[in-house]
Amino acid sequence: MDILLDATTAVFAPATAAFALAAIGLNFHFGLTGLLNMGHAGFMLLGMYGYAISTSRGAPIWLALIVAIAAATVFGLLLGWPTLKLRGDYLAIATISAAELVRYLGRSNSLQGLTGGSTGIRGSDFKFTFEELSPLPNENITILFWTNHGSLSSSWWLHIVAWSAVALFALLFWQLARSPWGRVLKGIREDEDAVRALGKNVYSYKMQALVLGGVIGAIGGVLWSLGASVQPDSMGRPTTFWLWTILLLGGAATVFGPVLGSMLFWMSLVVIKGLASTFIPSSVLSPVEIEPFSLVLVGITLMVLVVFRPQGVLGNKRELAFND
Amino acid sequence: MTKRIDRRVMLRALIVLVIAVAAFIALGASGSPAIASTTDTVVAHSAALSNEAPSALTQDTTTVHATADTESSGVGDNRYVQQFINGIVFGLLLALASVGLSLIYGTTGLSNFAHGEQVSLGALLTFFFASKQEVSLPFLPVEFSIGWPLLPSALAAIAISAGTGWLQDRYLWSPLRRRRVSIVQQMIVSIGLSLAMLNFIQWWFGAERKRLTTSIDTRLDLGLFSIGQTTIWSVLIALVCLGGVGYFLLKTRTGRATRAVSDNPALASASGIRVEKVVRLVWIMATGLAAVGGILLALYDNAAAFDVGARLLLLMFAAVTLGGLGQAFGALVGSLVIGVAVEMSTLWIGTDLKYAVALAILILVLLVRPQGILGRAERVG
Repeated sequence: MDILLDATTAVFAPATAAFALAAIGLNFHFGLTGLLNMGHAGFMLLGMYGYAISTSRGAPIWLALIVAIAAATVFGLLLGWPTLKLRGDYLAIATISAAELVRYLGRSNSLQGLTGGSTGIRGSDFKFTFEELSPLPNENITILFWTNHGSLSSSWWLHIVAWSAVALFALLFWQLARSPWGRVLKGIREDEDAVRALGKNVYSYKMQALVLGGVIGAIGGVLWSLGASVQPDSMGRPTTFWLWTILLLGGAATVFGPVLGSMLFWMSLVVIKGLASTFIPSSVLSPVEIEPFSLVLVGITLMVLVVFRPQGVLGNKRELAFND
Repeated sequence: MTKRIDRRVMLRALIVLVIAVAAFIALGASGSPAIASTTDTVVAHSAALSNEAPSALTQDTTTVHATADTESSGVGDNRYVQQFINGIVFGLLLALASVGLSLIYGTTGLSNFAHGEQVSLGALLTFFFASKQEVSLPFLPVEFSIGWPLLPSALAAIAISAGTGWLQDRYLWSPLRRRRVSIVQQMIVSIGLSLAMLNFIQWWFGAERKRLTTSIDTRLDLGLFSIGQTTIWSVLIALVCLGGVGYFLLKTRTGRATRAVSDNPALASASGIRVEKVVRLVWIMATGLAAVGGILLALYDNAAAFDVGARLLLLMFAAVTLGGLGQAFGALVGSLVIGVAVEMSTLWIGTDLKYAVALAILILVLLVRPQGILGRAERVG
């Protein structure tokens, strides 16, 4: 029963929403355009840094959000400029390196004053502008079985905002994917040369998709940091791989795929951990080993998904072509 | 005809190396006035690093190691020579891993993201066999210690790692190729495998750094620079292994077949080469070499953690891309350049940023010459 309750909590947690949002961004890259962006965590991290640093320097919330979006845009442009003309696997290597570069810079001691080094930025330094906006009372509120604070940290306020953002961007994805613009992107995914032959500027379309998806990733990063704190090492390569698992699990190129994928992903992590700690004696699997054990399963899930069901739960096999 | 091309390619590689070295020396000459200040920052960094000791999981001890070197070797040009030598050593050890990565890419077209874990596996399996501490297997509640001497442990670890290469190709990659699963899908499969293996190794060995030996390396002072005795042995072993790979590729029949498969698998298959057999051999070699690299790097760094290979993976990719994807000798040159760049960069910028230098080089190479130094000029996108 506890496991069930924990699982439901995980399904609606702000972190789940943040990952769903980032996966929607990745869906613009991979699902629509076929770009192999393996550095999505870099976009998220830049978004967090942009938001947290400008807030702690006294910027109002709208300006901080603009800074986060601008950081992701600039990163997307810089990243796309050399790499979008390259083949898929080169793009993957370049993006993963660029994201790691951001993380290394963020946690380096030389930027300690700006980014807080490897310890990052504490939540109390940048969360207040968001929390002050909360219309909810400043106390713990219990709804059915769940108790959260009204406006602080992982609050009901953050729940509402995060899931509204997810709904908003899912709607945006739905509208854009069926617009003429989205159809060109799908064309690029299926056959780049054919689209080029139609006189479209493939490079420019890819760049637009990369920047748009990156910006959505950055907003996901901001939401994530509002529920936790800014931590460069939490946005390393594993995060990107989780996002890919989420996207492929739910179904790439679908509207609700990323959302469902994120819910399933976090829920199954909680369930696996819960079941493992209940049923496997701690002499066989000690508490510290449960985390890596469940992540081994994530890796295996990713492998099995890609091989046997690349379209995920919701996807359409014809819709998703992995071409190189 | 082929000989001429080979010579031209080698010449090009040599020119790049010379230019790189010249650039470093020039930079060194112009940067000398700043030495005093850099030493200060280096000391500050090491102090900061030791303050953060609790976060040992992500701690970079190569950094600490290099810092110690720079501090001990005094002032003047010595530090440049010392870091250059360190870079060559690091590059050679890195080359062991990246040559395998490059061979796999060459023969199958797969960018294997799980190659880093093969490096960690080699190092930690050696720890498993050699350690006097209690070790255990995942899911088995018994603890025991094996405590073999270093050499047999290392050999056993290399054998097991090469075995995992065989297993992987037999039961994973070969069926995927037969099913005609696209390269991009295979790459994501390798990412999943990397995630699974990384966490499996963490689950097995824990997150702490493990020492392969308890003995302390004696350092030899050779005037301009000092070098550890174990390091000399490591370099010799690395050279022998790399020489062996070179001999295999250039002189033996199977090696020629390997190069033929790299060049054009369909044509190689049509001319009677058993491509699958060659690929299987390449997997065994690549994983075995990665294990050797992992063990030697663990000895060089004094210890290894479960994520040592994961952190090196992008350096390997940088080296392989720099040399030209799929070119085994390119990977060697690329690794040396990356190794030297990474170690020399600590003279000017913070030691915690040295891996970032390699990634910056990688992105620059992709911008200017995506086919790498030794790669043929062809469209890659």
